[in-house]
Parts: sequence; structure tokens; C-alpha cells
Amino acid sequence: MNPDAVEENQEEGNILVWLTGLAFLAAMIAIFIYVPTERTEGVIQRIMYFHVPSAWLSFFAFFVVFICSILFLWKKEREWDIYAQASAEIGVIFCSLVLVTGPIWARPIWGAWWVWDARLTSTLILWIIYVAYLMLRTQCDAGSMRARYAAVLGIVGFLNIPFIHFSVLWWRTFHPQPKVITNEGIGKGMDPTMLATLGVSLCAFTLLYFLLMGVRVRQENLKDEIDRLKKEKLYSS
Amino acid sequence: MDNLGFLFAANAVVWGGIIYYVYTIRQRNRALEKDLELLKETLNRKG
Repeated sequence: MNPDAVEENQEEGNILVWLTGLAFLAAMIAIFIYVPTERTEGVIQRIMYFHVPSAWLSFFAFFVVFICSILFLWKKEREWDIYAQASAEIGVIFCSLVLVTGPIWARPIWGAWWVWDARLTSTLILWIIYVAYLMLRTQCDAGSMRARYAAVLGIVGFLNIPFIHFSVLWWRTFHPQPKVITNEGIGKGMDPTMLATLGVSLCAFTLLYFLLMGVRVRQENLKDEIDRLKKEKLYSS
Repeated sequence: MDNLGFLFAANAVVWGGIIYYVYTIRQRNRALEKDLELLKETLNRKG
């Protein structure tokens, strides 16, 4: 990579850091100051502005894993494997946050930390699949076979996401029905200020995803480069 | 209904998770920098 390109990348990275920081600041102001308190659940409902964006981010991250895994199996280019790996890691982190913030929200509302309903159980299964995906990557020896196994798991794991989305419509669950995308249209089931706050929070989390992805992909590329140089040095001596 | 404790616990979990992940990325960066320095030194010694 030439020095100009590195400098340009750094500049883009700095802009993204600032944008993400500002978006999170706006989200915090909206969540704790701007948005009114919900009538039935009270202040606890504000957890939604962390819980839903975390879920969105993890689903989006696993969608990227799905696409990049298909591209890897098709084109056999290491680049797609790196994108899939980085995205899976971020997805697991945010899926973990969904699985922790959910019970914190549920305890005062449902009277239980956890219930084995379709939405919660399928989300837990999704988390287990992608934890297994990351474990597979650390346990197997580096190489194209590892990447191939991981790609297959990355694709199969994603098939769980439509099931998670529709689970609250197909079965009677404790988990609430979708409020943003409903039969009446997008955002019709929510108060406009709540929708705006959720929108800002979703933007902040999405920007964070791209920021983390950029850093992790650069890191993996550098690691590959170091490994390549080490091997070259080993064979030349 | 006053559930401020639960709200702040959820907020803390989210920020804690993000900060922890950024910390692990930073640690990996440091390890890579160290690796790179070592490689540079070895290559320089070889001439």
C-alpha cells in the first residue's frame, strides 16, 4: 500500500471516529433527555434504544458474514474471509449485548429474567452458532479448509435470522410484536419522538459497526502481511 | 414504575461491552506492532 493511500485511509478513519462519537452523543441526549417516558412501562422502556440497535447491528453483521462467505466460496479470495471473520466477531459482541440487555428489561416487566419463548430461544441459538464459528476459526489450522468450513457455518447460521424475525408473528411469545415495521407501514406503531430517538440510536450503532469493521479488517490484513514476511524470511534463511 | 437501576444497568452493560471490545482490539494492535518491530529488527540484522 502506498503512503498516500495510508494517509487517506487514516483521514477517513478519523472522520468516522468523529461522526460515530457525535452520533452517540446525540443518541444519549435523545434517550435520556429528549424522548418522553413511556406510559405503561416507565423509564425501563428506554432500554429499547440500546436493545433494538444492538439486535439490528448483530443481524446486519451476520448478514455481512453470510454475503462474504458466499463470495469467499465462489471467488476463493482471502479478502472475503477477512470481512466475514471481522463481521462475525462484531456480530457476536452485539448479540451478547442483546442477550444481556433483554433480560434486564424483562425482569421488571415480565417478572422473569428469561423465558424459553421462540424469539429468545432462537436468538440464543444464533449466538451459539456464531460463537462456534469464531471457535472454529481459532481451533483449526490456518488455511483455505478453515476458511471453507467457517464460510459454510456462516451461511447456515444466517438462515436462523428470518426465523427469529417471524417467530413473534408465528407463535404466541412473551416478546413484543414488531413496532417499527408493521402491517400499517414503517414506524406507524410508534410515537414520532420515540421513532426519531430510535433512528438516531440505530445510526450511531451502524456507524460504530463500520468503524470497528475498518479497524479489524486493517488488523487482519496487517497480520497476513506479517505472516507472509515471516514465512519468506524462514524460507530464505 | 421506577426502574432506574435496571435502566442504568443495561446502559452500563452496553458501554462496558463496547469499551471491552475496543480494549481487546487495542491489545491485538499492540501485539501486531511488537511483531512488526521484531520482524524489522531481524531483517535489519540480516542486512
